[in-house]
Amino acid sequence: MRNKLSENIAKIGPLIGLVFIVILLAFLSDSFLTVDNILNLLRQISINALIAFGMTFVILTAGIDLSVGSLLALGSALTAGMLSSGMDPILAIFLGLIIGLVLGALNGLIITKGKVAPFIATLATMTIFRGATLVYTDGKPVTGLSDSVLFQMMGKGYFFFIPVPVIIMLVVFLVLYFILHNTVFGRRVYAVGGNEEAATLSGVKSDRIKILVYSLTGMLAVLAGIILTSRLNSAQPTAGTMYELDAIAAVVIGGTSLMGGRGRITGTLIGALIIGVISNGLNLLNVSSFYQQIVKGAVILFAVMLDRSRD
Amino acid sequence: MKRIITSFLALTLLIVLGACSLDKPGSDSDDEATDDNATTEEASELKVGFSISTLNNPFFVDLRNGAEDAAEAEDIDIVVADAQDDASKQINDIEDLLQQNIDVLIVNPTEGESVVAGIEAANNADIPVITVDRSAASGEIVTHIASDNVRGGEMAAEHIEEILGADGGKLIELEGISGAASAIERGEGFHNIIDDLTEFDIVASQTANFDRTEGLSVTENILQGNKDVQAIFAHNDEMALGAVEALESQGMLDDVIVVGFDATDDALVAVEDDRMEATIAQQPDLISEAAIQAAIDIYNGEDLEDFIPVDLELIK
Amino acid sequence: MRQTPFVEMTGIDKAFDGNKVLQNVHLTVNKGEVHALMGENGAGKSTLIKIMCGVHSRDAGEVKVNNEPIVFKTPKEAEERGINIIHQELNIIPELTVTQNMFLGKELTYGKTGILNKQAMRKATKKSLLELGVDSIHPDELAGNLSVGQQQMIEIARALATKSELIVMDEPTAALTDREIESLFEVINSLRDRGVSIIYVSHRMEEIFAICDRITVLRDGLYVGTEVIKETTFDDIVRMMVGRELGERFPTRHAEIGDVVLSVENLALAGVFKDVSFHVRAGEILGVAGLMGAGRTEVVETIFGYRKKEQGEVKLHGKSIEINHPVDAVQHGIAFITEDRKDKGLLIDASIRDNVALTNLSTISKSGVVIRSKEKSLVDDLVKRLHVRMAHVHQPVKSLSGGNQQKVVIAKWLGIQPQVLILDEPTRGVDIGAKKEIYSIMNELSENGVAIVMISSELPEVLGISDRIMVLHEGKVMRKLQREEADQEKIMLAATGRYHDEK
Repeated sequence: MRNKLSENIAKIGPLIGLVFIVILLAFLSDSFLTVDNILNLLRQISINALIAFGMTFVILTAGIDLSVGSLLALGSALTAGMLSSGMDPILAIFLGLIIGLVLGALNGLIITKGKVAPFIATLATMTIFRGATLVYTDGKPVTGLSDSVLFQMMGKGYFFFIPVPVIIMLVVFLVLYFILHNTVFGRRVYAVGGNEEAATLSGVKSDRIKILVYSLTGMLAVLAGIILTSRLNSAQPTAGTMYELDAIAAVVIGGTSLMGGRGRITGTLIGALIIGVISNGLNLLNVSSFYQQIVKGAVILFAVMLDRSRD
Repeated sequence: MKRIITSFLALTLLIVLGACSLDKPGSDSDDEATDDNATTEEASELKVGFSISTLNNPFFVDLRNGAEDAAEAEDIDIVVADAQDDASKQINDIEDLLQQNIDVLIVNPTEGESVVAGIEAANNADIPVITVDRSAASGEIVTHIASDNVRGGEMAAEHIEEILGADGGKLIELEGISGAASAIERGEGFHNIIDDLTEFDIVASQTANFDRTEGLSVTENILQGNKDVQAIFAHNDEMALGAVEALESQGMLDDVIVVGFDATDDALVAVEDDRMEATIAQQPDLISEAAIQAAIDIYNGEDLEDFIPVDLELIK
Repeated sequence: MRQTPFVEMTGIDKAFDGNKVLQNVHLTVNKGEVHALMGENGAGKSTLIKIMCGVHSRDAGEVKVNNEPIVFKTPKEAEERGINIIHQELNIIPELTVTQNMFLGKELTYGKTGILNKQAMRKATKKSLLELGVDSIHPDELAGNLSVGQQQMIEIARALATKSELIVMDEPTAALTDREIESLFEVINSLRDRGVSIIYVSHRMEEIFAICDRITVLRDGLYVGTEVIKETTFDDIVRMMVGRELGERFPTRHAEIGDVVLSVENLALAGVFKDVSFHVRAGEILGVAGLMGAGRTEVVETIFGYRKKEQGEVKLHGKSIEINHPVDAVQHGIAFITEDRKDKGLLIDASIRDNVALTNLSTISKSGVVIRSKEKSLVDDLVKRLHVRMAHVHQPVKSLSGGNQQKVVIAKWLGIQPQVLILDEPTRGVDIGAKKEIYSIMNELSENGVAIVMISSELPEVLGISDRIMVLHEGKVMRKLQREEADQEKIMLAATGRYHDEK
């Protein structure tokens, strides 16, 4: 009974943290708890949340993907390139997502067939993807993108009064939540992360699960990249630098274990919200960005230690 | 029955599509409020938001300090947000600033194109925008305040020409972040002069991203193939100081002159010690002072020029 | 001397979160005595040991060492009083040498300089190993290159080097070959002669009768009694442990033996085994005996597609099948209960439900979506059928006892309704009650026509439940025996390579 209670507390721990921070900020700043700012905040976190959703899958398989930030930049540069050359925006976005899928699968193949540790494999591809982005863009932002309403909507549009990136984030969240908790694939993701050998011996093609997971993450990174490109109306060659760390932080704050097999995507959404709320709130409180970084680091540490203390 | 379903679906689709828009909801309804503000409030109640590209570089720290000092002197409120050189964080910062009832927004863009979304957000909220140092590609800007970078590049080139004399020589150009307006303009000014001088030869133009460490490594690499270089022009002092370190470790510091840009504290010391030949002094405190002044002018309803150049100075 | 107590624990109580784990438990270990501590999993053996060694505090009771009341707050304090524990999972770091392992945490240095005195440590290592009668281990060898038995010797030597007067050995023979067990027993005897006391925790009744002087039995956290081994019997102890008559250890077999289901021909894996051929019929239990390293596990892992075979053929109902991955084996209705539950059998942090569902995902889903109602009824049926003792199916399997964990492993495989069931050491680390239940399940399955292959290192088990027995030695099939003709001696002769069936 007691065990179950503490388990449940652990489950909603991040949520309690979020609520606490929100209440605190609402007291400290008048502009924080306004509809306008909340929507603004949700839009701000949507990029990180999308990447972090993919990262959740990867980390559940006991892996890590450091290449997401670079992949975001490469995917958005290539998509922007296609758009500026006058390609149909739907096709360009579709191809962009496919590129993300393929490059993610490449990560997965290096890790499974090449037997390279995920940290090393994606560290290498992180550098390669960034280099490829700089080569392709010649280090300059890609501009002169499509005027297509669809493309413009992705980053800047509103549906009723809700920003489109927020809608995309929520839809992706619901789909991934369903996949993780209600499909065979989702169960196998947990199994591979919980004990890869046991999963394989139970008839799970662990390698295939991993490749799929990295592909998914690659595609989500590029989706985030396309939204960012639409928002900035240009693809920045340096976009996404260090985004992998924010995504990992969101996953970890959300209570997913880096050892794999244990965690929830809901936690990741809350983790992304916590990170977003902190930086938005500290901005509103006019706290220097130097201190903001200290606060963010402290929150990550606090969340992880809280997670450890229940083991 | 089928027809009913079809028309229902069509209606739903219409509503859904109708609900989509690229404009922020309610964005065009608050003109009045802003006008009221302008006439009723005192200058001392003016609140300025300042989105700065980074604080990882002494120039921008000076820029911020100048703004804060000027704001204090004029007794106005200022809120600063640091984008940490991340284009999308800057947009978030601007949005956060707009949440705080600022009257004027000063933006120092990380990059000209990407900042537009932020500028447009401010335009939608009817907050006047001033850009400093780097300009924005589009959006409504009341005025842009910056050093005359093209002129600065020319000053650097002229100074190198003067030192090396008619014999000319081989030059290295360390470029700033690709695409950054200041890098483009400084390079343009530099090339304006050097390209017309046949006896001068730029053996390498490479980017070191305005960064001292990269300035060091890029210079080291270039020097491997070009031992007979006579002068280095860097688009900022950080890279110039990196180049000085590279030259020093190669024992070439006495043979090569280095001209930087920005006149940061470190660079000024280096010029004094003869480690650097010269630096083009941007005057960040003057830029931000001008920006604060412009904000007050806007607030008081005065008209401003599109571009307010701030003087540069060669320090040797 | 035999009669002088070294450690006396009386009236020990301990509760975790209000859950009484020990109540009024006693344990007295004399100097120079080998004292067995027995009880089913969850009886409180480990808690008692941990209280003795200062890992846990006690709620009530008294601990005396050399007749002096004492409270150990840390394991270090217990160690200083000469009490050492050798865990089932050895504390040996494979990447370090024997000497480095010996002196881990208490390295010898030149004065206080922090500079290692390697020469002295090497000498001391050699000396303590020789005292144990072990001369085959070089002090500079990497510990990882040693056998499990040799690694255990290092641990014992390490304990003795700290002037140990009492060594607790937790399941010391679990991973040892018979020869290694023999030399362990020699060491234990010589320790006893030197006046060192030993607490011997084991499930293996035969060993306890072979080496121990007295035995203390716990049941459900209660003290049942202490007996002198010479004056007691196997059945007495079982009765003390389970609190009731267990009846026959092995169920009576009634299964009708049918056609050949699985046959294996000339299977080989480079460097591990070759020319392995055998078959198993519907309703038949084939016991596979052999020493550690004979290649038994590798043979079944190869059949199951977990290892890539070098050559050979696997046939199901006479038809050749290609198995390249465990997925293929599962699709053909072959189930494999692995030797190592924690490493290869279970998702130890995941729930009972998730573990049981894992092998059955295809039957409980439609277009890739898990149907909760189907899942629930499947999991509930299986855990009920196997009498898994648990609070609820969402409980993590790591919170279950060894026997119940093993039942979860079996449950997940019964879900696929296998025609061939391979079990590798199915009763290792399982208490005697659960053991019997596992035998009944095997019996019941064979009666339903399942062909069963069981690897086991426990000869009584192999003899007790198999219809036929195959003996492996160094990767070769040495002998195949009908149950009627088999006995321990014949199996051991073949397992040690001294008897080979000429074909």
